[in-house]
Amino acid sequence: MKTRGDKVTTKVVPAHETDAERRHEHRFQVSESVARLVMRTTANNLPLSRDDRPYQWSTTTYCDTVDWSIYRQAKTGSAMQLRIREYHRTRPREVLNPGTAWIEFKDDEEDTSLKERFGVPMDSARSFLRGEPTLPNLDHGLAERAAKLLKGGARPVVVTQYNRLAYNSLDSSLRITADHNLMYFALPWAATDGDEDPRPLGTLLAMEPNVIVEMKWYGERPHWALDLHSYLQENTKQERPSKFIVAMRWLLGDSGPEPR
Amino acid sequence: MKAAEEAIRSDAPAVRVVVVEDDHASADVLQRRLQANGMVVSVAHDGRQGIALVEELLPDLVLLDVMLPDTDGYDVCLRIKSNGATAPIPVIFLSARGEVVDKVRGLSCGAADYITKPFQAAELLARIDAVLGQARSPRVPRLIRPVERSAGSRMVARVTIADRSLSAHVEQLLAPKFDVADGEVTPDVLILEGNAAQPADAPEDVPVVRVTAAHASQDRPELTPVDAQLPRIVDLVVRERDLEGDLEAAAEALIVLASAIASHDRPSQGHSERVAARAVDIGRALGLDESTRMTIRLGALLKDVGNAKLPASLLAKHGELTADERAMLERHPLLGEEILAGFKRLSGLLPIVRHHHERLDGTGYPDGLRSEQIPLEVRIVTVADRFEALLTDRPDRPAVAEAEAVRILQGAVARGELDAAVVAALATQIRAAGAK
Repeated sequence: MKTRGDKVTTKVVPAHETDAERRHEHRFQVSESVARLVMRTTANNLPLSRDDRPYQWSTTTYCDTVDWSIYRQAKTGSAMQLRIREYHRTRPREVLNPGTAWIEFKDDEEDTSLKERFGVPMDSARSFLRGEPTLPNLDHGLAERAAKLLKGGARPVVVTQYNRLAYNSLDSSLRITADHNLMYFALPWAATDGDEDPRPLGTLLAMEPNVIVEMKWYGERPHWALDLHSYLQENTKQERPSKFIVAMRWLLGDSGPEPR
Repeated sequence: MKAAEEAIRSDAPAVRVVVVEDDHASADVLQRRLQANGMVVSVAHDGRQGIALVEELLPDLVLLDVMLPDTDGYDVCLRIKSNGATAPIPVIFLSARGEVVDKVRGLSCGAADYITKPFQAAELLARIDAVLGQARSPRVPRLIRPVERSAGSRMVARVTIADRSLSAHVEQLLAPKFDVADGEVTPDVLILEGNAAQPADAPEDVPVVRVTAAHASQDRPELTPVDAQLPRIVDLVVRERDLEGDLEAAAEALIVLASAIASHDRPSQGHSERVAARAVDIGRALGLDESTRMTIRLGALLKDVGNAKLPASLLAKHGELTADERAMLERHPLLGEEILAGFKRLSGLLPIVRHHHERLDGTGYPDGLRSEQIPLEVRIVTVADRFEALLTDRPDRPAVAEAEAVRILQGAVARGELDAAVVAALATQIRAAGAK
C-alpha cells in the first residue's frame, strides 16, 4: 500500500518485435487496378496482419545527421535506418504525438533487410531520441548501433504518411503490403531537449503516384507468391528504392522523379 | 431546415460549393440541383483544376468524385487537407465505388462524408446540411466571419454579466462613450463580473475589465466597482491597448530607418524587404503562427542594422576582402545586437540579428552554433537572405534564376549548412509559383 510521499517510479517494459532472420524485400509501384488484383490474390492466401488495422494511417519519422550520413550510406545500398512509427485512425498533422510509439531499426543491405522494433510510450521515444539509454540491446545489436547514430547527431528530419493494407503468413515468413496515399513531409530541425509538444509537419514534399506494393520474405515462397512476384515485376511502373531514400531525395532536391 | 433554404430566407451569405466531377452531364445535374437550393456552385472537371479552384475560392464545401481523369479524388482530398488555407474546408466524396475499403479510404483521407452513387438529391442535401452544421460549430472559426466595423466609429464594449440589473446599470454608465456589442461585432473591451470565465467566443486580444457591484476593496484590487468612475477606467484600459499599438508603430519607424541605411549599403534597393517577405512566406508554409511570423519579419528587416557602425568604405568595397576586413565585416551581427539591445520590445528578434550567419554544421559566425542551437526563426531568415542575395547581381558574380538559386541552396543543405526543411519549403513555393 502506498503512503503519501512515496515516490512511484514506473519502469517501462517495451513491447519487442524482431525479424527471425534477414528478409528479402522487393518493392513495386503499380496502378490502383493492379494493386487491387494483387491484394485480392493475397487475401485468398494470407491472413490480414494482426498488428496493422486496414487503412489506418502509418506515420513514420526518419532520423539523419546534419551531414546526411545515413542517407549517403543508404544510397550505397547498405544503411541502418532509425525511425519512429505511429499509428492513427485519421491522418495526424503532427508527429511524436502522445500514445504508443514504435522505435524501429532497419538494417538494409543490397537485397535484404533486418528489422527490430520496440513499442514504448511516446515519452520514452523522446528520451531515446535525446540519447538516453531507454531500450535493452537485444538480439541483433541494432539498438546499440542506433544509440551511436544519435550520439553522432541523428535527429528526426523527414516523415512519411500512408494507408497500409498488410497480409502476413502466420510464421511471418511472408508479408505483402499495399501502401496508398503515400506522402512525404519535411520536418524542421528542433531541439530534442526542448518542449514535449508534438511537432507540426513541415512542407509536403511530394505525393507518391499509384500504389506501393511490397513483398518481404525469407525461406521458400509458395507457388502463388512466386507467380504474384512475376506478375508484379511485369506490371510495375518503376523500380522502387526505400521510402527513406525517396523521402530524402525530395528533401535534399536530389535527382529523383518529378512530382505530380 | 436545409442550409440552403435557411440562406435564402435569411440574409446569410449563400453556401459556396466546388464540385469536382469529370462527367459533364453528372456535374451539370448536380450544379442545377444545388443552385436550385440557393448554393453558389463552381465546377472543375479534373483534379488539378479542382485544387486550383478550391485554393482560389476557399469555398464552404467541396463535393469530390473519386475517379478523375488526371488523378484520383483521394489525392485531391489529401492535397486540400495538407494546405493550411484549405484544410478546414469540409469535403464530401461522391462515388460509384461503394466497397467498404473505398469508404474507409475516403474518410481516412480527411473527408467529412462519403456518398455512394446513385444517390437521392434529398439525401445529398441532408448530408450537406449535416456537414456544414458541423463546420459552422465554434470549433471551426474559419466559417464564422466577424462583422467588420468602419474606422472612426464609437468604441464598442461587450458586457457579459449574468445579473440583469447589474448588466443594465453597467450598460447605462458606459452609454455616453461606448456602444454595447451584440455578440457579432468584435469589441474593444470586454466587461465581466467578478471572476467569471471569459465566454468561449470572446476574441483573445481584447482587454478585459472585471467589475463588482460592491465598493472598492483592497482585498480584490483587480475588481472595478460599478460607479460613476467606470466609464473613465474602461476608457483608460482601451487607450492603454492603443498605446501598445503606437509603440509597435514606433518600432516600425525604426525599421524604416534601418532599411534606409541598408539601402545605401546594398547594391540593390529593397533587399531587406524582399528577404522579410520571403521569410514570412516560408514561416507561413511551415505553419508558424502570426506572432512568430511578425518576429521573423522584424528580424529580417533589422538583421543588418549593425552595418551602420562599419566604415562605409568597407561596405562599398569591390573585390576580395583582406582577413582583417572580413573579420570586421563579420562583426555586424554583434554590432546590430548592441544597437537594438536597448529596445526592450525588440528583444525577441535579437537572436535573428545575432545569428543569421550561423550554419547548422557549426562553420558560421559569430558564435559557431550548431544545428538545433540555432532557432528555427533564424534558420528561416538565413535561407531567405541567401536566396534573395543569389537573385541579385554582385560584383563577383551575376544574378541567377530562382530555380538555380534553389539548387544552389540545396547544395548548401547537402553540405550541412542550411536547414533542409526550410529550403524544401522555399523550393515548394518556387515550384508552385513557376507552375502557375
